[in-house]
Amino acid sequence: MSDPLSAHLKRLIVETLRLEDVKPEDIQDDMPLIGSGLSLDSIDAVELVLKFEKEFGIKIRSSEESRQALASVSSLAAFIRQHADPARLPV
Amino acid sequence: MASCAVYSSNHDSVGLAAWGCVTPLGDAAGTLTALLRGERALRAVPVLGREGGDPVPLGLLNNRELDETAPPSWLATIKSRFGPVQEGGWGRPRRPVFVTSSNFGVGCLYAYRRSGDPAFLPFGALPDCVEWLRRELGWGESVTVFSHACVSAHLGLLQASRMIEAGLADAALVFSFDFLSPFVAGGFHALKILNADFPAPYQARATGSIGLGDGAAYAVLARDRGDFTITAQSLHNEMYHFTANRADGAGFVAGLAPVAAVAAGRRVWLKGHGTGTLEAGRLEVDAFGRVFPDAPLVGWKGSLGHTLGSCGLVELALAVEAMRAGRTPGTVGSAAPVFADSVALESFANGAFDGVVCASNAFGEAHAAFLLSHA
Amino acid sequence: MLERFIQELRTDDPGSETPAATRERLKARFAPGSTRRMTLLGMLVGAALGDLPPAGDEPLVYASTFGEGRALEDYLASFPAASPTLFQTSIHPSGVQQGLIGRQRSVGELFPQAGGRQLAVQALLTAMLAPAATVVLAGGEERGTWLVEANAVSDRTFAYAVRLAREPGPRALGRLMLTQEAVTGALAHPAWFERLHRRQPFDGAAAEGWRLQLAWS
Repeated sequence: MSDPLSAHLKRLIVETLRLEDVKPEDIQDDMPLIGSGLSLDSIDAVELVLKFEKEFGIKIRSSEESRQALASVSSLAAFIRQHADPARLPV
Repeated sequence: MASCAVYSSNHDSVGLAAWGCVTPLGDAAGTLTALLRGERALRAVPVLGREGGDPVPLGLLNNRELDETAPPSWLATIKSRFGPVQEGGWGRPRRPVFVTSSNFGVGCLYAYRRSGDPAFLPFGALPDCVEWLRRELGWGESVTVFSHACVSAHLGLLQASRMIEAGLADAALVFSFDFLSPFVAGGFHALKILNADFPAPYQARATGSIGLGDGAAYAVLARDRGDFTITAQSLHNEMYHFTANRADGAGFVAGLAPVAAVAAGRRVWLKGHGTGTLEAGRLEVDAFGRVFPDAPLVGWKGSLGHTLGSCGLVELALAVEAMRAGRTPGTVGSAAPVFADSVALESFANGAFDGVVCASNAFGEAHAAFLLSHA
Repeated sequence: MLERFIQELRTDDPGSETPAATRERLKARFAPGSTRRMTLLGMLVGAALGDLPPAGDEPLVYASTFGEGRALEDYLASFPAASPTLFQTSIHPSGVQQGLIGRQRSVGELFPQAGGRQLAVQALLTAMLAPAATVVLAGGEERGTWLVEANAVSDRTFAYAVRLAREPGPRALGRLMLTQEAVTGALAHPAWFERLHRRQPFDGAAAEGWRLQLAWS
């Protein structure tokens, strides 16, 4: 079962990108998000970056950094834990 | 893959009778001199202007503020520098005008949204902006607008050439402009390709980034006039993705091949699009290498920034000046290592070349190119 | 005198249909899940183009006075946290690119045009000067919201796609002729759409210096 942060990230992904045929629980923690797996593209990636920057007060500087952070929900959660104020993380 | 267009019928008869551009480094001759000295127009500017934000590399005309004014402040520069644009009865049916831009007056719509001041509205919407320019520059009604992001200017050149070739116009004015605003800078910043790093086109480094610049230019095309001709032109649209090219670079090759066919047997140098992004830069360099082996490649957006819809015409004017001066500026802002040996970091003498192939690319992975030759 | 024959024609005028209803009506014309980022204009133009039988590589002229003005409204409203998706979709010619990218359909020559009163004839001129046996002219507008009052976005929604050919062929729907004459006048983009949608003829000044004749078979 996903931890609260990962579960929250999955909900945000589905809502932000209006993924009509995907439920948050369908997204596996280590499923690739960009390209294969969820088949999101680079525009989806930057849209998610914008959302996560607002939600958690983090900063992703470049397209290369966003590609690394968004490799999977697990990598995204790790990035956010590393850079966000813990008070802004779901418990 | 869809084949490309090449405009090549009687191409030698349509000449470049006049040209000009303005960038933060000056007019065409002044900008060329600055590029040959390796100067950069880009400065770190808050991405949202008065509202602040991250510093990003922008080249602003006359060190103006990023935020728009009503009316836009750049019109005075156009009027003072571009005499041929205002003289000669442009906008009559036999002397049509082709306006090309990506953003037009959208900075004024942004200012209206943020301030609520209706003074910005007459300059904001695309048709209003063009109508305002038409009146200010004294043009008649025959004004056609092409807008396709960073290949906009190429479309104006192609259609102007066809009108003259078909005998429907005696001469044609192609006018191109794109001036920055928080709207434009904010958008590219949101895509994470405009950030604090200054652009280094074709340089092999860990992250890519672009700069943006103000730019405006014009070209007058006429039958059998001028020392230069736009000998061949091509277009191609991958329609693969809005912001990514086909990974095999086939789109770049498809965009260049028709011009290469006309250029066969001629010695050319290359002016690439080269904004500073990594993937597109690599693909572009590779495609040039395949289609024009041994031709030296330069890009000037590391100095001027990407002038968006006007880049094709701004860089045409600079290429003409370079051919007249006998010297081509190198890829300012970039350093070794580069993607290929064909990338010329330093300026070089171009007198032994027959012409230059100029290429631009745009969102939606549009490609455009032309061959500029001595008449 | 330039002459072309209308081989294929598709038009869509949603009228008083709500944007949500139009989206629902058109959704099935696109691959599942692909419409989540599409604008209404993108769906209308994409559907009209998608309905034309494929004819190999042919030039495409795309005309829209205001382009993606509706998306621009939303993009402007998203600042200071500018939405990258809305930035992308607000840039002309996103309206025609969305459907083509969705179908992975490359195009050799694409001429996106915009502008005011003379847009229809200017787009026709571009189409007629393209050196190809057939050319597609597509176009449309999307009704805006808060910018309508400022005349900065369209006040109605429509889309069309018409295939023009040099030869009449066995089933030409109509005939278009453009002639340079000393005339003044303008056929605005919505009026041009009405001529196509209702199969109405036209003979008169459609732009300064251009007489347009449209006759239906």
